[in-house]
Amino acid sequence: MGPISLIALTLAALLFSAGGILVGKLFNKGSKNLQKGEAYECGIPTKTSPWHQFNVGYYLFALLFLIFDVELVFLYPWAVVVKKVGVTALVEIMVFIFILFMGFLYAHKKGALKWM
Amino acid sequence: MNALIFSAVSGVIMMFSSFLLNNKNSVRVLAHVLLLATIIANIFELRGISFFHIDTRGMLEFDRFALLFTLVANVCTFAFFLLSSRDLEKIGNHYSDYFSLLFFILAGIVVSSSFKSLLMLFLGIEILSIPLYILTGSDKRNLKSNEASLKYFLMGSFSTGLMLMGIALIYGATGTFQTGITVAEKVPVLLITGMMLLLFSMSFKVSAAPFHFWTPDVYDGAPTVVTSFMATVVKAAGFIAFMRLFAEEFGSIRPEWKLLVGIVAAVTLFIGNITAVFQQSVKRMLAYSSISQAGFMMLAIYSLSNDAKEGLILYAAAYSLATIGIFAVLVRMKDYTFEGFNGFAKQQPFLAGILVVFLLSLAGIPLTAGFLSKFYMLKATIDGGSLALAIFAVLMAAVSVYYYFRLIQSMYFKTGNATISGTTTGFKYTLAALAGITILLGIFPNLLTNWLYF
Repeated sequence: MGPISLIALTLAALLFSAGGILVGKLFNKGSKNLQKGEAYECGIPTKTSPWHQFNVGYYLFALLFLIFDVELVFLYPWAVVVKKVGVTALVEIMVFIFILFMGFLYAHKKGALKWM
Repeated sequence: MNALIFSAVSGVIMMFSSFLLNNKNSVRVLAHVLLLATIIANIFELRGISFFHIDTRGMLEFDRFALLFTLVANVCTFAFFLLSSRDLEKIGNHYSDYFSLLFFILAGIVVSSSFKSLLMLFLGIEILSIPLYILTGSDKRNLKSNEASLKYFLMGSFSTGLMLMGIALIYGATGTFQTGITVAEKVPVLLITGMMLLLFSMSFKVSAAPFHFWTPDVYDGAPTVVTSFMATVVKAAGFIAFMRLFAEEFGSIRPEWKLLVGIVAAVTLFIGNITAVFQQSVKRMLAYSSISQAGFMMLAIYSLSNDAKEGLILYAAAYSLATIGIFAVLVRMKDYTFEGFNGFAKQQPFLAGILVVFLLSLAGIPLTAGFLSKFYMLKATIDGGSLALAIFAVLMAAVSVYYYFRLIQSMYFKTGNATISGTTTGFKYTLAALAGITILLGIFPNLLTNWLYF
């Protein structure tokens, strides 16, 4: 196949995305209402524009959440094989959790968990 | 492995030093001690004593080339600490964090110079880049610094994306992440495409033309101390990774990329040198000079011989030491333009003399390390089969003499009142020691390159 496969793949990708837009344009009835412009079409109606600056504290919390999130993502595959690998796995996951804990401790000491 | 563990642990210790130590001086001393320990540990490993025996499953290989470069990078960083750590503290309040970020960059340098697997290359380059994005924007109240950081981050992520795509394509072609592939007579197209993507992304990281556009803006916008580190140690580390990648992974398909790398080297030399001639600010001139020196280092990748390996290590040391020295003086100057240096020799004859040594080394004048490193590169290029490229490189080196000597001219032959602050005796002696090393390496390069073999 060689280079032809790459070119064919590119063409297919282009056709797929262009086709999607084209079909959407063709069958679009053009209904426009207020709800359509909302960020979410369900839930509580927004009161003000969402495009204003958030307090930087929110971002810090999101980042700290990531520490635990990533920890969990790695803990699941670990849990599957822990019996097979034995003590080594236990030690290594302890090292891993310790490193994440150091990151968390650093953030806590820096005052990232203080609210405003 | 020693240097990797030491620098990573040092980074964590520096992170916590901000609440354990409440004194700027003790934080600075701690950083120096930790870096010194890292250097000693690395020398132990060069002598065959490794403190840690961790099974990396063949993903990292600490050969002498990687170890020696790690040593060069650590020693240059130590010189940087000695000269500029006080200026580093002036950027903002988080001074201990800047040190910890620098240690993490050093850890990234170890990984990216000793990788045996493409995944480790990616990881090393990322560990090295992410702290740099932060350091670039560390002058938080300065809009230029913010702009530089964002620009660097966006362009850097883009090139990282290219690199990942390249690695994925190579995995598709060979079925392994390990370097050292053997190819049949017909080179698969996927492999060539992946190689091209890696070439582009690595050229971006080392700011080789035509992927250099971010360099002047980022170097100009970043705090000058950070620029000094970015333009030297980090750039050299990029070249070591580049060299390792092309020697080990793509060494067997050399005819496919040789011409391309030659063109990139020639274009980099041309653009870097010609644009540097027109600069009015010394800081921007040094940014373009770093591009043109990158062109010379590209010649090592073009030829890939043993000479090229020795030369690249020597080049990294010579270029880093000289540029760190010039930047250390530049940080303390009031005015960054060429005019700001007018009459500098009258007021600071000692510092001006040392600056001349560094500038001569950058321009490649004999008796300095810069001359021998350029010599190694040219010899390797001629042995590698391209006389024309070597001649072009010599011509461009001649152009570079113009803008390096322009600084000497302003210092010695023009009158004015250059203002510099904070030149302590220790600072002067450290600079003199650096100049001494530059001359020593220019006479006895074996002192450094012999470490590659025994």
